[in-house]
Amino acid sequence: MPELSYREAVRDALSRAMRQDDDVFVMGEDIAEMGGSMGVTQGMLDEFGPERVRNTPISEMALAGAAIGAAMQGMRPVAEIMYEDFLTLATEQIVNQAAKHRYMSGGQLTVPVTFRTQGGSGWSPGAQHAQQLEAWFVHIPGLKVVFASTPTDVRGLLWSSIYDDNPVVFFEHRTLYGLKEEVPDELEPIPLGKARVHREGEDVTVIATGRLVHEAIAAAGEAEHEGVSVEVVDPRTLQPLDEDALISSVKKTNRCVVAHEAVTRMGFGAEVAAVIQYGAFDWLDAPIERVGAKFTPLPFAPVMEEWCVPHADDVLEAIYRTLGRAESSN
Amino acid sequence: MATEIKLPRLGQGMESGTIVKWLKSEGDKVEKGEPLYELDTDKVTQEVEADASGVLLKIAITEGEVEVGKTIAVIGEQGEEVATDVQEPSGEAAREVSDDEQEEGTPARAREQERERGRRASAEPSEQAAAMRASAENGGGGGRIKASPLARRIARERGIDLSAVAGTGPEGRVVAEDVERTAASGAPAPIAAPPAPTEGVEVEQLSSMRKTIARRLTEAWQAPVFQLGVTVDMGRALELRQRLVEMHGNGVKPTISDLVTKVCATALLRHRAVNALYRGDAVELYPTANIGIAVAVPNGLVVPVIQGCERKSIAEIAAARASVVERARAGKLQQADLEGGTFTISNLGMFGIERFIAVLNPPQAAILAVGSTEEKPVVVEGEVVVRPRMELTLTCDHRAVDGATGAEFLGDVKAFLEEPGLAL
Repeated sequence: MPELSYREAVRDALSRAMRQDDDVFVMGEDIAEMGGSMGVTQGMLDEFGPERVRNTPISEMALAGAAIGAAMQGMRPVAEIMYEDFLTLATEQIVNQAAKHRYMSGGQLTVPVTFRTQGGSGWSPGAQHAQQLEAWFVHIPGLKVVFASTPTDVRGLLWSSIYDDNPVVFFEHRTLYGLKEEVPDELEPIPLGKARVHREGEDVTVIATGRLVHEAIAAAGEAEHEGVSVEVVDPRTLQPLDEDALISSVKKTNRCVVAHEAVTRMGFGAEVAAVIQYGAFDWLDAPIERVGAKFTPLPFAPVMEEWCVPHADDVLEAIYRTLGRAESSN
Repeated sequence: MATEIKLPRLGQGMESGTIVKWLKSEGDKVEKGEPLYELDTDKVTQEVEADASGVLLKIAITEGEVEVGKTIAVIGEQGEEVATDVQEPSGEAAREVSDDEQEEGTPARAREQERERGRRASAEPSEQAAAMRASAENGGGGGRIKASPLARRIARERGIDLSAVAGTGPEGRVVAEDVERTAASGAPAPIAAPPAPTEGVEVEQLSSMRKTIARRLTEAWQAPVFQLGVTVDMGRALELRQRLVEMHGNGVKPTISDLVTKVCATALLRHRAVNALYRGDAVELYPTANIGIAVAVPNGLVVPVIQGCERKSIAEIAAARASVVERARAGKLQQADLEGGTFTISNLGMFGIERFIAVLNPPQAAILAVGSTEEKPVVVEGEVVVRPRMELTLTCDHRAVDGATGAEFLGDVKAFLEEPGLAL
């Protein structure tokens, strides 16, 4: 089994799809010669040529619109939005066009476009380059939303996103690109709407997305030393959401922590908490805890950024709160 | 203008009722006075009539237990907008409701305090809300037990009273572990966990009526009671009853029970200490004999009351008795039929029961158990003769009635039945 980084896993999914299928192509700002500002598409220009690895002007609205148009014409474009902060500029196209055409045409049109984007804190990029805006798109009927946290997942989920007939907003996390793991030789598509249990446990379920999946796994390891058994579940697809998997996990553990890097207020965790309280009300032994960033634009200063966004310690404290322990013992 | 239909207080002491079903659907036309829904109180299930005409715009509460005064539906004109939040009376509306229904006792006052706190909190959000939270944290939350949903479910399933469980969670919340621990120790659980039903066992959830029977009779069991028994020679009473039956015309045939009711009424007014309610810090002696008749109904037992028996003839008592018994068996009793009782008679004679002890019907001070009339050999003036005999057993609450008082009363009942002329 080859070892791939998260970055290479994304590239692998893109390249395999493009080798298999002429309808698939990639487009975005500086993705060709430069290989993308995160290096994801490095080398792809050489293999697939400028027709299929297309640089675009610096206009997210234009490139998103062009990708949607191509999709409506039968292509399966993958458009890269360099930072998810810049999704704001493409939102008209994604929300009002991509999400609506299949519905408004009575199914005559489909928009099989994938918007790949990345973001997140951890390297001090400042308030306009580190946001986590996935919850915005989960709110829009007609879009699917994916947030992958491991090389295996990102590869299998991106494949399924490319071949889904609906527009998918596909979130990657900046700090995960270097994360390596062995992946199977064969790319195994991962169906959208299927959660992954990273770690089984008995006492508390942590439902985490993106970077926080790894923080949650670290927190679970810490908790284990204290005799607390933590289950870590990554929904992976935020829309559609694998509600059954989340609810059945909480029915087993009776306690739930929801963790993401985005701000807590109106975050994706709010929706998960609502799903859990409704589906597992009589199984809950403690209020659902939410872990997320403080409600502030992110500061440049590394120490301040670190203070604002959640880490394993924050997840661990939330785990202990669900158990009625005031603080962790350390 | 839409009219909010609120859960009425159908009788003294009624705090809540359970809506069984609606007889109209949203959008139906409704005439004032038409039956609107069925309500199960702790005493009866009855149809409640609409108190406004129009269209039933909204059913706010489709079924389940509801506090008195809560809005359960809205009647108005076709197409009229209904505020979506009709469930909570607020502001002036709440004040009106509580003023209208101000009553003795703490529950209403506690609710009013809650509302007042809510009003103040919404007027001055920050400080008042903080004060409210603080007070709730100090256990001032109106007696609500803090428990997690899981703890509540486990307690419900195992029949554990949450108020008997010490909470160890944050802010004293009862968590699942606390309930498990209580269940394991078994001590404070007032209701033992029932064994899992086996094949063929039918599980019947308690109706409101059965719960009331259970609660009130358990309450009665705490009263210090004593029993007095007499055997009555029923010769004259049977002759009288025979005459009354022959003369009853179109009316209801009087029964022995009706005779007993009548003579008890007369005796009760002569011994008013027995015609009394025990109220904890006082005993109320009543000037009229409002006699409750225990009636077996298909799903339980009810005690409709015949008011003012001392003023009624036996024929009138028979008519009143026939009416309440018929309505009791048809489930058509109204709350008013069950109120105001000062004494109860329970007769199992028709089942061939010769004697039994009735359980007190609190707050009444006494209850009379009537047995069957049987031919018995007795000694009359040195001779053994066969006479119709009936046993009476009086159960008295010793906190209200002493032995001698009860004995005098029962002696009079016996005398009146043996020589009805004495009751005149």
